[in-house]
Amino acid sequence: MSQDAIGLTELQQDAFTELVNIGVSRAAASLRTMIGTQVLLSVPSVEIVSRKAAARLIGEREAAPLVVVHQDFEGAFAGRALLIFPQENGRELVRAVAGEELSPDEVAALEDEALAETGNIILNGCLATMANMLQRTLTMSLPGIQRGDGPRIFGTEAGDADSLVLFLYIDFSVSERDIRGYLAMLMDLPSLESLRALVDEFIARALGDLDA
Amino acid sequence: MSGPDETGRIGAEALAAAVAATRHRAGAFLAGLEHSRQPMLISDPRLPDNPVVFANQAFLTLVGYEAAEVVGKNCRFLQGPETDPGAIAAIREGLRAERVVRVTILNYRRDGSRFWNQLLICPIRDEDGRLVNYFASQVDMSHVHEAEAGRTRLADIERRLAEAQRQLSLTLSSAGIAGTWDWDIQAKRLHVDGRFAALTGLTPAPRPGTVPLAPGPLPASAFFTGIHPLDRMRVRLAVSGILGGAEVFDKEYRLLASDGSVRWVHARGRCHFGADGRPARFTGVLVEVTEQKRVEERLRIAQSAGRVGAFEHVPGFATVAASPQFCSLLGLVSARTVAASAVNALVVEGDPPLLAPDQRQEGELPPIETRVRLADSGEVRWLVRRGEAIRDTETSGLRHVGVIYDVTESKRAEVALRELNDTLEARVREAVAERERAEEQLRQSQKMEAVGQLTGGIAHDFNNLLTGIVGSLDLMQTRINEGRTQNLTRYAGLAMASAQRAAALTHRLLAFSRRQPLEARPVDANRLVSSMDDLMRRTLGERVQLEVVVAGGLWLTLCDPNQLENAILNLAINARDAMPEGGRLTIETANAHLDDAYAARDIGVRAGQYVCVSVTDTGTGMPPDVIARAFDPFFTTKPLGQGTGLGLSMIYGFAKQSEGNVKIYSEAGQGTSVKLYLPRYHGEIEVGTEERGEAPRAERGETVLVVEDDSTVRALVVEVLHELGYRTLEAADGPAGLRLLQSASHIDLLVTDVGLPGLNGRQLADQARLVRPQLKVLFMTGYAENATFGNGHLGVGMQMITKPFPVEGLATKIRSIIEG
Repeated sequence: MSQDAIGLTELQQDAFTELVNIGVSRAAASLRTMIGTQVLLSVPSVEIVSRKAAARLIGEREAAPLVVVHQDFEGAFAGRALLIFPQENGRELVRAVAGEELSPDEVAALEDEALAETGNIILNGCLATMANMLQRTLTMSLPGIQRGDGPRIFGTEAGDADSLVLFLYIDFSVSERDIRGYLAMLMDLPSLESLRALVDEFIARALGDLDA
Repeated sequence: MSGPDETGRIGAEALAAAVAATRHRAGAFLAGLEHSRQPMLISDPRLPDNPVVFANQAFLTLVGYEAAEVVGKNCRFLQGPETDPGAIAAIREGLRAERVVRVTILNYRRDGSRFWNQLLICPIRDEDGRLVNYFASQVDMSHVHEAEAGRTRLADIERRLAEAQRQLSLTLSSAGIAGTWDWDIQAKRLHVDGRFAALTGLTPAPRPGTVPLAPGPLPASAFFTGIHPLDRMRVRLAVSGILGGAEVFDKEYRLLASDGSVRWVHARGRCHFGADGRPARFTGVLVEVTEQKRVEERLRIAQSAGRVGAFEHVPGFATVAASPQFCSLLGLVSARTVAASAVNALVVEGDPPLLAPDQRQEGELPPIETRVRLADSGEVRWLVRRGEAIRDTETSGLRHVGVIYDVTESKRAEVALRELNDTLEARVREAVAERERAEEQLRQSQKMEAVGQLTGGIAHDFNNLLTGIVGSLDLMQTRINEGRTQNLTRYAGLAMASAQRAAALTHRLLAFSRRQPLEARPVDANRLVSSMDDLMRRTLGERVQLEVVVAGGLWLTLCDPNQLENAILNLAINARDAMPEGGRLTIETANAHLDDAYAARDIGVRAGQYVCVSVTDTGTGMPPDVIARAFDPFFTTKPLGQGTGLGLSMIYGFAKQSEGNVKIYSEAGQGTSVKLYLPRYHGEIEVGTEERGEAPRAERGETVLVVEDDSTVRALVVEVLHELGYRTLEAADGPAGLRLLQSASHIDLLVTDVGLPGLNGRQLADQARLVRPQLKVLFMTGYAENATFGNGHLGVGMQMITKPFPVEGLATKIRSIIEG
């Protein structure tokens, strides 16, 4: 099995994708309850890249300004989770959450609050579920909102280019709205290493369970 | 238990009697009947309508009636709207036949609820065998009966379900696509259809054309049956994700059949959650995609080998589905979905965008060539986009499906080629210019060579002539010094002859330079040709036969008759030289009309009417290359020293200066014809008779002002004028002459050189005319500045005389001016 840059085997990567898939499914279920319409989140791929590469990935896909909901997490592994939307998509999501009848002014007024709330549901649901699957616990900080382009979001301007980014491209399908977003987890190397060990345990458990 | 139709009200006494009789007949068993838990009743068929005469407590409990409500009534009160008429008929038939009846019938309780009654009716007879009572027992069979009906229904549903499944399976099978699974997570059981089982090898492959049978419930692990070892871990992880709470299952993997063949399948499934939010069922569809995989693989190889990137884009959507090659062609990190805006943002400003959402018509997308700045390297590359806008089956909107590929190299080649072409042209231009420069230099050097040759030739000729003149004068001087004055005239004649030849030579040179002063006047070419007849016969010799053919009604022409004579003579001499063995020379005159076509062929020739003089010989002729150069100065085919090569060029110069033309027609061995065209003159011929004889002398001692910078010429002219009896004034240049002219001196005539330093002769005359409007002027000129002194351009009272001139000619001119 080949290994990628930071040494995840294909199996580990698959397992990781499944973990995120479980987490995102949970988040989607929560969001579904909140919005009251069909919400489907799916994760086509997971990549582990440098912050710089992540900034580029975002940069070359999204020319428009971005809006980010971020939450820090601590526990068996620590880092910062980011939910990233093109700003327009963010508004669309706010409208989906808060109601179609809102005027643009109202959307603007509610935007940060609604995004923070929605982001919290998605990030929290996702991370908590993952932690649960890994049989660990995480504590999450309160969500924050940030705006800017790729380099700003991933802090490459600050020179903290060393840490790695677990980068996910998520398709949001919210009652036929064209909303797309990205989920990213910023983690340093020791954290990723711990995460990898946990993933190995998860793999052993997953395969063992089925054999049992 | 219904009896014959009720015919009347039963008497209470009769009923009471019947009841008592029945009880009596039961005797000691009556208590048993009353307390039995088996519902029972007894009727009396001997009473009208067979009324009930006994009902035990169990019966009353079953149907919900009081005893009083029951006794005395026919049993039909138990029947209701849905009671089976068949069952009723069966009972009636049994009663009529007085036999035991067993039937299950739907009855109604007092509260309207229904129950299934398993009814037994038995006739009771007395000792004599007469029917006295009917005994009936009822068993509530509802629970049994309902279950049975349910079973029937279930069987029916199952039958229809099986049919539907068979149909579905048939459809899926005939489409060759899919099997389905349903994993009951709680029960750890897997239900799959026949197709799934056949695909994975859970059951043997069905015979072709038959529908594979669904196996019964399987252990959950059967889901992994047949999965290729290399993919098994991956699939198991994904399934564990589902069991752990993931919603979506979407995997492609290989199945390994027992015969070793490998098939690709695509499994798409979903997890269904139970009421407790835990995963309950995992269902999905397994599709064989082996062929699709192959096609995809081929397409992928084709695309990556051809460096072709594919995309799908729904206009208006923010994202584009892209192939890895698409991303790599744009320098993007490979991804299945990219933002349309990001793609178009790479296009160099001003170039057409790669994704054109405004293309709203079905059909081919217009192919475009566009430049993109690669996202990773920033390099600018040329891409071509081709594709189609097709109707999307899902959304009924348009979907743009297309490819892009890199054409930078061919573009570069194109540019290089164009540059090469451009520079080629430039290089050709340069080479041509260089050649032109070289040719110009060659011409220049040829000219210099010609000038050298000319000056050399002229110097040679002139030296000969000067030798004759100087020698004669020398002899004359010696003789005069010695006092021997006889025969002096002979030497003077020799000197004069040499001088005249020198004059002729310079005249020819001027004709060649087309600067000879032409004295054009109306000429009758016929007369001129005829007058030359004698001269020519002597020139041509006896071996050449001369024919002169003159046209009747020949037009006049305007030219210098001396030059025309000279030209004809020259041509005749050339012709003679071309016929060393003799031949015939024909001189012809004719009217000619040169049309536009002729004029177009010869530059400088105007269409119109001309007089043509042709000189034709029967000599050796000229090859084309000689004809082409015949008019070039100094070109001659004659041996060195026999000719200057100026003859034809001089004729050419004369013709051109006279606004005519000259053409040579010749063929080697066939002879030559030279045609000289001179413009027609519309006018009368001047009848001027020149009298030659004594130079006319001054009659009243008129005063003549001579302005000449050459002192010898001035002295000579003044000498001549004194000889003729004129008084003279002299000036060496224009200004000095003008001062005299502006003074009060009496001046009858101004004789002036044209080429004077300071103020030329013409300017001098013009200024003199301001103070002396009637002043008569005679210009002396070595060559004509024809622009000013051409034909007929001289004003009234002005004339011209060409140097060198004979004394007599000068005297005649002066006289005629003064008198005129």
